[in-house]
Amino acid sequence: MTKEQESGGRRLQDRVALVTGGSRGIGRAIVRAFAAEGARVAVVYRGSHEAAEETVRDVRAAGGTALAVQCDVADPNAVQACVDRVAKELGPIDILVNNAGVIQDELFLRMTPEQWNLVLQTNLGGTFNFCRAVAYEHMLRRRTGRIINLSSVAATHVNMGQTNYSASKGAVNSFTRALAVELAGRGVTVNAIAPGFIETDMSAAVRGKAGDLIKKLIPMKRVGTPEDIARVAVFLAGPDSGYMTGQVLTVDGGLSLGAVAVS
Amino acid sequence: MPTQEEIYSKVSATLVEALNVDEEDVKPTATLQGDLGAESIDFLDIVFRLEREFGIKIPRGELFPESIFQGDPEFVQDGKVTAKGLEELRSKMPFADLSDFEKNPEVRHLSDLFTVQLIARYIEGKLAAR
Repeated sequence: MTKEQESGGRRLQDRVALVTGGSRGIGRAIVRAFAAEGARVAVVYRGSHEAAEETVRDVRAAGGTALAVQCDVADPNAVQACVDRVAKELGPIDILVNNAGVIQDELFLRMTPEQWNLVLQTNLGGTFNFCRAVAYEHMLRRRTGRIINLSSVAATHVNMGQTNYSASKGAVNSFTRALAVELAGRGVTVNAIAPGFIETDMSAAVRGKAGDLIKKLIPMKRVGTPEDIARVAVFLAGPDSGYMTGQVLTVDGGLSLGAVAVS
Repeated sequence: MPTQEEIYSKVSATLVEALNVDEEDVKPTATLQGDLGAESIDFLDIVFRLEREFGIKIPRGELFPESIFQGDPEFVQDGKVTAKGLEELRSKMPFADLSDFEKNPEVRHLSDLFTVQLIARYIEGKLAAR
């Protein structure tokens, strides 16, 4: 049994969750954490077929239910087809986690329209497409739902080369607030998680370059694990967060507090 | 073609589900907003459900005339529906009895037109025209 299963309650028992970008990194940790809490989880991925299947195998080996579905989040028709398939095989979607995200870091003066569009269309557009496919049919009509958008500290605490990424995540934050207002009357909460530096493929290059400097900038003196984020996602997905909506929860070990360890 | 009773009964059931109200609250003269607590998001839901229940298409603004609700200046001035606005209402809602409203056409009373009965009549009209 993994650590998650050992500590897992049954807070998401029989709920159906869909996690985009669920084959790796933070998404995979969320899939596993949800499954450990009793949810049936759809692992939506774009290209990492092997990783997605492995994630599904892990969940099944631990006694859970999971399904891998390939989908490009930027394509609204593909997204609708994906949602329809998940609904058919697992049931109406109770929890949507918009985690699929890409980076295309580049100094602004060198940034191409393609680099800009890819990041906006995946990170923000994908979130829009999935929310649209799920909001009425699965959540509003049934008067229940949890939408969790993955944002980033980069929305407000930015390094060089992230105008596109930062813009996409800032937009996700605003979208989260605006959508929360529209869906609140029907029992659907919409919140976001803004991770700091997390140990995943996406941040590998930056972490490599920054090295020990990271520990100086993070009061908790360590990079976060995907599980650190997943546990907050479980809280947002479950019954304990029922009166909370439109919030962006920063989970970064204190990074955004701006302290620099001088010793 | 379903009878008036059948139509009314289905409309009533749809409103019970969409607005999460009790069946006994859904009287023919009950207003959607005032009596049954409908909000803007509910109007959308009601339209979707009616479309599905009766197998019809309800074009935007046909049942709930958005342009008037949203205060389009051609149709609404100083909180009152203009002559043009009344014309618009008459043409968009031939199934409605506007005689009382016309006496004091204040926008804030517009929602009082939308009763359960009105919806049922609208559906009757749609089904008859099919």
